[in-house]
Amino acid sequence: MIPPPLLARDLRKDYRMNGETVHALRGVSLRVDAGDYVAIAGPSGSGKSTLLQLLGGIDTPTAGVVELLGTRLDALSDRELTHLRLTRVGFIFQRFHLLPVLTARENVELPMAEAGVARGERRERAEQLLAYVGLAHRGAHRATQLSGGEMQRVAIARALANRPTVLLADEPTGELDAATGREILELFRRLNDDGTTLIVVTHDDRLAAEAGRAIHMLDGTIRD
Amino acid sequence: MTGLPLLRNLLLLAAAALPAPARAQLPNVAVERRLAQELSLRVGDTIRLGTAPDSIRLVATVAAVYEPRPDPAEIARVERHLRMHLPDLAALLGAPDRVDRFGVGLVPGTPVDSAVAALERNAFGFRAYSSSAIAAESSETFLVVSRFHRAIAIITIVASAVFLLCIMLLKVEERRMDAAVMRFVGVRRRTIFGALLLEAALVAAVGCVVGTGLALVAGAATNAYYRNFFDTALTFSLVTPGIVLFSVALSLVLGLLAGAAAAWRLVRTRPLVLWGRG
Repeated sequence: MIPPPLLARDLRKDYRMNGETVHALRGVSLRVDAGDYVAIAGPSGSGKSTLLQLLGGIDTPTAGVVELLGTRLDALSDRELTHLRLTRVGFIFQRFHLLPVLTARENVELPMAEAGVARGERRERAEQLLAYVGLAHRGAHRATQLSGGEMQRVAIARALANRPTVLLADEPTGELDAATGREILELFRRLNDDGTTLIVVTHDDRLAAEAGRAIHMLDGTIRD
Repeated sequence: MTGLPLLRNLLLLAAAALPAPARAQLPNVAVERRLAQELSLRVGDTIRLGTAPDSIRLVATVAAVYEPRPDPAEIARVERHLRMHLPDLAALLGAPDRVDRFGVGLVPGTPVDSAVAALERNAFGFRAYSSSAIAAESSETFLVVSRFHRAIAIITIVASAVFLLCIMLLKVEERRMDAAVMRFVGVRRRTIFGALLLEAALVAAVGCVVGTGLALVAGAATNAYYRNFFDTALTFSLVTPGIVLFSVALSLVLGLLAGAAAAWRLVRTRPLVLWGRG
């Protein structure tokens, strides 16, 4: 039996803040199957970004387990986690976070270069990915020369570079105007139709409605 | 005697034209260029020489104007020199058996040490020195000054490296978010460390090139100014290949260390802390 791409069991995350313990997550369980498009919605402070960080292996839970393709993340060393994030997880951030000194194509090539993909192959794939997100003509432009929507498309192409098992997006339309945000939603829809597993944290009701499955969080728990 | 003794405390009061037949029999003197300039003397002029204002009795012809060899020990002195044949000097002083010092030229190939030893043995009342011994003795002060300058230079480079470290730390602080994102997308610590180290090496290398260029320009300006000020051909600022190599090597090593320290601080920090949520 093939394990699900992502499985979270009874995740808890506590922080110490000003001498007090903050319970960011209070026992969250979640299963994401291959090809799912999951939106995690909820107000600020509900724990949705914390959940995304735990699912992506960026942070470690206080209790509970995250499994990616059957591999327990808590059993991995820092080096193994880094490699897993490089090859199995794609991250998309609210503020794009492209490297400003690199061109759009170089930004997409970066994870592939880190993974040891040959120069010619990674260049070809970077151009394919830029064409996929509609930016074939912008590959030679530096990140600072791109609009917000274009930067987010490049960030999506970067996240797809190493053919990840799952794509994690944290408020991907939060910095974009309505029209540009709609373009990103259409791109996510197309990605999911093409078989990409997506988990998106959002405040955006349209984005949540667009997803095949919406999870609402409140006070560190899943409400529905 | 063929030597041209140095005459000190010579009082030279006036220059005057004399009838041509008399001039042909006059003693010849060679006048230092600066003295010639100050008195507007030219080759062929006649001058009167004496050792005191009331004893200006020797009339001589300016046979040559010479440029003395630049000597740092003479730089701040206002003395001016002229050279004359030893018998003329003896006549001027009225003391034919007295001379303070004179130079002896050796036939090429003659061992200096044995010549000095021979002079010590045979010239009663004289002390003989080789020119290299005199140079070493008179250069002692300058060697001390030179070492002092080297110490200042090293301190300056080390201080610059501390400055570079501060710059690198500031630059690294600006990169916290970029570093966090790179770590999130799976870039290894060593890749980030290497990139920052490379950047530090480039900053240090550019600093070396700019610093060497500035040193050459500043040295040339210093030399031009003081050569003009002291009217000398002396070199006041010297940027040798050895100095450049030493400075570049020290700067690169310290620059790399500064970059490594800044990069190490960054990559040891947890990505979420860099992200601002740790």
